[in-house]
Amino acid sequence: MTTNGAAGNGARPVIALAMGDPAGISPELTAKLLTLADIREAAHIIAIGDRRILDEGAKAAGVTLDLESSTLADLNKAGTSRHFFVDLAHLDPSDVVRGEATLAGGTFATRNFRTALELAHAGKADAVCFTPFNKKAMRFAYPGYDDEIRFVADVLGFTGKVREFNVLEKVWNARVTSHIPLKDVADNLSVDGIIAELELTQACLKEAGYDEARIAVAGLNPHAGDGGSFGMEEIDIIEPAVEMAKSLGFNVEGPFPADTVFGRALKEGYNAVLTMYHDQGQIAMKLMGFDKGVTMMGGLPFPLCTPAHGTAYDIAGRGIADVGASREALLLAVRMAKKKAALEVAA
Amino acid sequence: MREPTGGPLALTMGDPAGIGPDISLSAWLGRREHATAPFLFIGDPSVLAARAAMLGYSVPVRETDCAGAVAVFDAALPILPVTCPAPVTAGDPDTANASAVIKAIDTAVRIVTAGEASAVVTNPIAKAVLYDAGFRFPGHTEYLADLAEKATGQAVLPVMMLAGPKLRAVPVTIHIPLKDVPGQLTPDLIYRTCAITAADLRNRFGLERPRLAIAGLNPHAGENGALGLEDNAVIRPVIDRLRAEGIDAVGPLPADTMFHDRARATYDVAICMYHDQALIPAKALGFDDSVNVTLGLPFIRTSPDHGTAFSLAGKGVARDDSLRAALDLAAMLANNSPGDIR
Repeated sequence: MTTNGAAGNGARPVIALAMGDPAGISPELTAKLLTLADIREAAHIIAIGDRRILDEGAKAAGVTLDLESSTLADLNKAGTSRHFFVDLAHLDPSDVVRGEATLAGGTFATRNFRTALELAHAGKADAVCFTPFNKKAMRFAYPGYDDEIRFVADVLGFTGKVREFNVLEKVWNARVTSHIPLKDVADNLSVDGIIAELELTQACLKEAGYDEARIAVAGLNPHAGDGGSFGMEEIDIIEPAVEMAKSLGFNVEGPFPADTVFGRALKEGYNAVLTMYHDQGQIAMKLMGFDKGVTMMGGLPFPLCTPAHGTAYDIAGRGIADVGASREALLLAVRMAKKKAALEVAA
Repeated sequence: MREPTGGPLALTMGDPAGIGPDISLSAWLGRREHATAPFLFIGDPSVLAARAAMLGYSVPVRETDCAGAVAVFDAALPILPVTCPAPVTAGDPDTANASAVIKAIDTAVRIVTAGEASAVVTNPIAKAVLYDAGFRFPGHTEYLADLAEKATGQAVLPVMMLAGPKLRAVPVTIHIPLKDVPGQLTPDLIYRTCAITAADLRNRFGLERPRLAIAGLNPHAGENGALGLEDNAVIRPVIDRLRAEGIDAVGPLPADTMFHDRARATYDVAICMYHDQALIPAKALGFDDSVNVTLGLPFIRTSPDHGTAFSLAGKGVARDDSLRAALDLAAMLANNSPGDIR
């Protein structure tokens, strides 16, 4: 899966970077990323989009790009000593309406994303990153677009289990259920399901460099059920899952009450919290600064990372967008690509 | 029901084996530093004296009635005696003392409804200990509501509000299994909870036109039905009704994006659909200073946002921040001021 064996030899991994929605801050973020010295040091980026849109982004960001453009067919030039831009030449800047979700914007972003995924799938990139998409625009262009996971599965024909992880420097969040009605959450919990999430979480943490990852598991009910007073799922499902996981060698504790589990994780040095449903993790993570965090799709044959924040239509084109989360996404992808290659060599 | 006449705050002892006595003593010791409003401790004088000795505190305790408490407070900790029938060991609760725990609550309600005390502040109780003694209420709040109904002859829906330094949050459902939440969320319950909250924020907190932010139930507030139906089918019509009645209410809002600084600046209280939807942000935004306020009662009641912490009793490590915050807020509400929510 590695390009030119680069990642495996401790050299710079190749990251396919798809430009996101052109009406927001994605163009300026992409341009900024391509000029960062530490990113240049850490990876070779194959950025994918339209050169005219990228140049507008560079102008907005106030950066000068030293970057060769070429076509997809010329990709064998990548993996040398430079970043590289694949110019799909598919969107005229005059067709971009800044601050608006449009079919043109969605078409641009889905094509970039698809190209990046195919590069990684073909082994020409070690990981994929993208700057923010607009879901509405993605749906104009690809009506079945639920989320990135679904799109990736469609494009690659990948049928394995893929999960979204929310990554802050101090703690990760994985969740057992995600975009389902709250009333269905309890019925979707099972011992096997929780074990499977713990396995994937531990594997992803390991790729990210946490060899001895510690995971805290949240309960479902108020006060984690308070000994069965407010619900039985802790006793019937979550506790047995945690015990079984321990017997399988996982470093995991819980279930802990959801309103204190993140505080405990920070204080006691857990690397990740496994939550039972969407808002149980999202409320806490967002209050801990997750808009500056990274979303990582785990379970694919390659790492897939993106900044957690959105397209920020309100500040697009002003050059004030903070590149921090995008930089973190890139660096996490680099770290995971290298470790993944090393683990594969070891195996 | 008489209006308060500037009397002391009535502070119940809670479970005497828990940290209630400890934090009450330390709140009194800090009265000058923190400008704590005068409170009248309702409980066992010998328990206070023994706990003070354990903790190495020098606290003069003086028995008094309500009328004398304010004058006493600077020089001594005023106490209205309710005696525990069995010996009290810090950290080791005894059902034999449940009757005294309950009598302290009864007494507090009696003096506040008589207008002698200005508000009730309760120290933590342990439900399991009271259940063993035959107590039949789900908790403190429901018992206070029952006492209030008996005192006033009117039905009471107690509404729990968490008030922290940065957030006020009201959970519509509280201590029930998560899977039962959608079924319990009737339009009537949501409406009454919101209406009581709005009325008390107006009448007790002095907010002329309180702004309510109402959370959805499902991820992304249901995303137009794709992720659940209750947001549009149950919650939205209630918001329409509240607005039609002139209450400033918005929602249903996605729960994960309604608690950051900029969002919080747009409302006075978050109405949440379930326990952890309110408690997760409340604790993330200020754990030690959070206070419970019971709305919908004919009197003011606050309590610290923690339990009896039996394992900490008598050890000198229990923090009194939350109790002091509860006393401060009760005093401010008694003066019809919005409290120190920033």
